[in-house]
Amino acid sequence: MAAAALCWALRVARQVLPSACPRQVRSYYVDWRMLRDVKRRKMAYEYADERLRINAIRKNSILPKELQEVADKEIAALPRDSCPVRIRNRCVLTSRPRGVKRRWRLSRIVFRHFADHAQMSGVQRAMW
Amino acid sequence: EDKSAASKDSTPEGTAKRQEDGAETPKQQLLDIIGKMKVEVSYRKKLQQLKASENKKQAMSKLESSDSEGSVPQGITETQRGKPLNPELVKAASAVASSLPRNKKQTESELLAQLRRHEETTDKQKKGGTINIRNVISEMTIKRQSPAQRGMRISGLISLQLDEDGQRIRRERSSAEPMDSRRSLKVGKRLNIFTKASTEPEHALKTVSSPTIWDLEFAKEVAAVTAQPPRNGFEEMIQWTKEGILWEFPIDNEVGMEDDAEFHEHIFLEKHLEGFPKEGPIRHFMELVICGLSKNPYLSVKQKVEHIEWFQKYFEEKKELLQEI
Repeated sequence: MAAAALCWALRVARQVLPSACPRQVRSYYVDWRMLRDVKRRKMAYEYADERLRINAIRKNSILPKELQEVADKEIAALPRDSCPVRIRNRCVLTSRPRGVKRRWRLSRIVFRHFADHAQMSGVQRAMW
Repeated sequence: EDKSAASKDSTPEGTAKRQEDGAETPKQQLLDIIGKMKVEVSYRKKLQQLKASENKKQAMSKLESSDSEGSVPQGITETQRGKPLNPELVKAASAVASSLPRNKKQTESELLAQLRRHEETTDKQKKGGTINIRNVISEMTIKRQSPAQRGMRISGLISLQLDEDGQRIRRERSSAEPMDSRRSLKVGKRLNIFTKASTEPEHALKTVSSPTIWDLEFAKEVAAVTAQPPRNGFEEMIQWTKEGILWEFPIDNEVGMEDDAEFHEHIFLEKHLEGFPKEGPIRHFMELVICGLSKNPYLSVKQKVEHIEWFQKYFEEKKELLQEI
């Protein structure tokens, strides 16, 4: 029982479902934190509409205040991972939470590595 | 029927009716007709030749050995009186005929016949029974002439300008007859251009039982084995496009976005507001919601309707609360 748990924990992260294409596919996420971030993103996508509508009722000067208070309670009752504020833009390759450029979704270190090896299209060392 | 329509060609759209008998009798009749028409003005001859060349093209598909030089108008279209013409078209035809200077009845009948032919062809095309060029070409053969006939033809060419129409046609007719006897007309696959194509027994749809798991697995295995790695960059790009990784060029901005709704369905959303009370803060709120939705180009009509329905459901649930207020 303990051995099984250990084996399971030894696995770095969860395996993605195998896809049909025969090429090499990354089947694991970089670490657990990245996995959790992925889960949060999925949940935020699912609840996005509801959150938008309940917020529209809350941030309102027309509707009666009692209704707005009820809406407050409702939105607080939604699962915590469904709010978009908890999403962190991590580096896609190293899962680094800080120093991530949004355009490339990469951390600064990985970005520098690829740019120096000329694997980033249109990126050049600045010199002026 | 033949003679009344073809006797006097007063309009350039003169039609000649076609029959499916043996080669003898229609030719005879046409010869008589053409003999009569000898005396008329010269431009009519040109029209005849035009019409003849048109009909000749139609005749080629019917007969196996085509007379390349025959100016005999052998073409006769089959009229299907079964389908009545559009009454508006008939009225228009009569109006046009009355506007033209001469022979109103003739023009009208000929225009109507033309219309009927158009209807026929469109019907046939709709059914998909038009001329299959492959069938046509398979039946055509290279014509072989004996030297005697060739000599006759050359002599015919030489004396072409001297003879009148009737004379030239008579010689061709006599030369055509012996050739016909060599290859009979009834041999070969029917092209079904003039007869109504016999409705082939429609293949009964094979009832496909739901594919079993073994079938799916087999199909997957076969696909995996036959899928060769791409030999070059083009094949790689093709594979990527099939998988959906690469977009299709020229880039279509509206891929995946199939909004069939008109603009008025996006903007005028008030009809969805029927479930709400007419006055009060809720109505005010919903009108603002609708104003915002009408300006939103990113949602489809379905999504907007769902949005409004969600609010309706929400407010109905809170009805008791609202009554207290």
